[in-house]
Amino acid sequence: MNLLEATADKRGTTLINHWQCGVPVTRGPVLTPLLLSLIGLAALGLALAAVRFFSPLGPFSGMNDVYAWGIWKTFNVMTLTALGSGPLALGLAAWVFNRQRLHVVMRTALVSGFLFYATGLLALGFDVGRPWNFYSAVLPWRWNTESAMLEISICMPLYCAVFLSFEILPLFLERLYYTGNDRARAFLRHVSPSIRKVYPFAIVGAYVIPLMHQSSLGGLMLLAGTKIHPLWQSPVLPLLYLIAAGLCGFAFTIFLLLIVCLRYSRTLDAGVLAELANLLSGVCFVFLAVRLGDLIWRKELHTAFAFDRMSLLFLAETGLILLPGLALRNRRMRQTPRALLNLAAMAVLGGMFYRFIPTSIAYAPPHSTSYFPSVPELIMGGGYIALGIVAFVLAINYFAVLPGEASTWNHTFRPFGWPRKAAASSTPFEPAAAPAFERGI
Amino acid sequence: MTATFSRRKAFRAMIGLGGTLSTAILPAPAQAAEEHPAHPIAPPDAIAMLFDSTICTGCKACMPACNEANGLRPDTSLSGGIWDMPTGLNAQTKNIIELYQGPRADEFAFVKRQCMHCLDPACVTGCPFGSLQKKDWGAVTWNSSLCIGCRYCEVACPFEVPQFQWENWNPKIVKCEFCYDQRLKENLQPACTAACPTGAVIFGKRVDLLAQARDRISTAPDKYFEKRVYGEYEAGGTQVLYLSGVSFEKLGLPTLGSTSIGHYATKVTSVIYKWLSGPLLMAGVLGVAIRRNWNRHESERLQREKETGFPDQL
Repeated sequence: MNLLEATADKRGTTLINHWQCGVPVTRGPVLTPLLLSLIGLAALGLALAAVRFFSPLGPFSGMNDVYAWGIWKTFNVMTLTALGSGPLALGLAAWVFNRQRLHVVMRTALVSGFLFYATGLLALGFDVGRPWNFYSAVLPWRWNTESAMLEISICMPLYCAVFLSFEILPLFLERLYYTGNDRARAFLRHVSPSIRKVYPFAIVGAYVIPLMHQSSLGGLMLLAGTKIHPLWQSPVLPLLYLIAAGLCGFAFTIFLLLIVCLRYSRTLDAGVLAELANLLSGVCFVFLAVRLGDLIWRKELHTAFAFDRMSLLFLAETGLILLPGLALRNRRMRQTPRALLNLAAMAVLGGMFYRFIPTSIAYAPPHSTSYFPSVPELIMGGGYIALGIVAFVLAINYFAVLPGEASTWNHTFRPFGWPRKAAASSTPFEPAAAPAFERGI
Repeated sequence: MTATFSRRKAFRAMIGLGGTLSTAILPAPAQAAEEHPAHPIAPPDAIAMLFDSTICTGCKACMPACNEANGLRPDTSLSGGIWDMPTGLNAQTKNIIELYQGPRADEFAFVKRQCMHCLDPACVTGCPFGSLQKKDWGAVTWNSSLCIGCRYCEVACPFEVPQFQWENWNPKIVKCEFCYDQRLKENLQPACTAACPTGAVIFGKRVDLLAQARDRISTAPDKYFEKRVYGEYEAGGTQVLYLSGVSFEKLGLPTLGSTSIGHYATKVTSVIYKWLSGPLLMAGVLGVAIRRNWNRHESERLQREKETGFPDQL
């Protein structure tokens, strides 16, 4: 006992070093008009995707042989999985660098990350021309191990289907525990120790694999060589893609938490958000340092200030990352929700710019034609995103995803109606005993 | 004697022994066989095509010959169904003669476009399941049973050669394969070089054709642009070589460096991913840190459970 007290980390003295802070949204109707329209869009997109499966790609997209990759790959996969890197960024900070406070918001990051990856892979599945040959992924002698595409086509489904699914498994088990019968509870009590045993090993894979494929996404563009504008084509593309993934991961988690907590009028721990913002500003500076160093090393810095179209794009992208980086150094800014929301949105946009531009806007082969996504392509791309949003809204309504309000961060609170007899034996809930948290929004 | 033989010395002796053994048993580290050298050297049996733009009259005899050899339907969409009239390489055209028309009426040249069969092809480097492969004599071929249709080859190819069948439910990648299955295997030269009536495009060993191209340049140095052979060094060297009177840029051949694109793309990752050492090392480092923090977390969780009597969430 004394030993435990001596070794206890002081940063974890509040309750937030624990996972029992997830609380489902309990107020208000789920099916709002907005959600219904999103369901409509998702249904339309999926219906088109189903038709596309029995039809050639041509009528469904504006892609051509010069721009062989359309928005499904360049936006839904290469850009949006950066936003889905929250589990990677937060997980590394929480588990490797021991930022224990971040465990509270981990589930929000995990669920959003899972949905970004799942919808991205869905987009990819309907984008490839010969999906029936994909079984080669399980035949290692067919692998071309030097291809970045191979790394992505194996690691991304693996990450989403195995590691992210394992990490969000507690949501489902927990719901079963609180809503199921006694047999289910007995079973879960039986399996939960083994899940705890596997967990630390599983999350190692859950961080190594996205480190690999998020950098490989940048590695993809290396082979395009001179087709990409020299401001973006660089040997450090894989590293920058990875850092941009971390940047978007932190920024999007802040953005999402603020938006969702505003929407459902929940209080948020401003300290957690400030810590995330602090990390975000650090990642912004790391990104900019690598970017600047790379441009100087390749002697391309003058291209950045040529003030032509590409240079302006570069400056916009850099500004969108530099401004949040600088502003979030200020503690007042980190603790003001409105500023935090705007700055996080800017950083998300900047990171998305960096991930999207080399694949499309700065991608200009010599026999250039034009590419603009066709209407079915846009509907399908938007449909996948709508599907993700719908799934996220349902998830936060029916599962303990969002961080609980400060008053509920107590062990006596049970999100799904904990059986009365268990709660009765404990000391009653005392608000005064709960640690004082700053009110966020 | 025994007193001086310390543990440290024993350790050193073991390392020495292990090192000697390992150098004796393990194969020598591969120094010569780099997967993607910056400047690949063509194997002695590498075949090639030499296209001389100053000889080509634009008769396009090679195009129907190519279509016939590869079983491709003529592209008649522009001519109203009467004539093979593609506007570029496309889903039913593996070989095309294109015209460059300059500002003056007498300034024109023809160029034959098809796969360049690079010595280190970017498409082969990028192809995830090895559908595109460099076969015997250096022909780059496509295998329908391995292709997943990701179109990375189209992104990777600096010459924009591979074409995807957008209008086909079972789409294929259409590109010149040097008539590998159709003719090379039967000791025949490709259909296009066999059909060329003027000798503008000829077939042979790459070394021989390079020597012949240099001969032509030295006999008529003023006739040829920059007095060089396009494809000798471009993108690490290609197996289709060009001679031209006008600039290669005007013929639609991109200006490329002499480094192989595969080398540029894989020089760092091939070191990191060698035997998966980078990811495994990363997993080890992360594993130690996570394990430490996990144990800390678990002890705190158990303490809290003891204090409050409530189990933690999973």
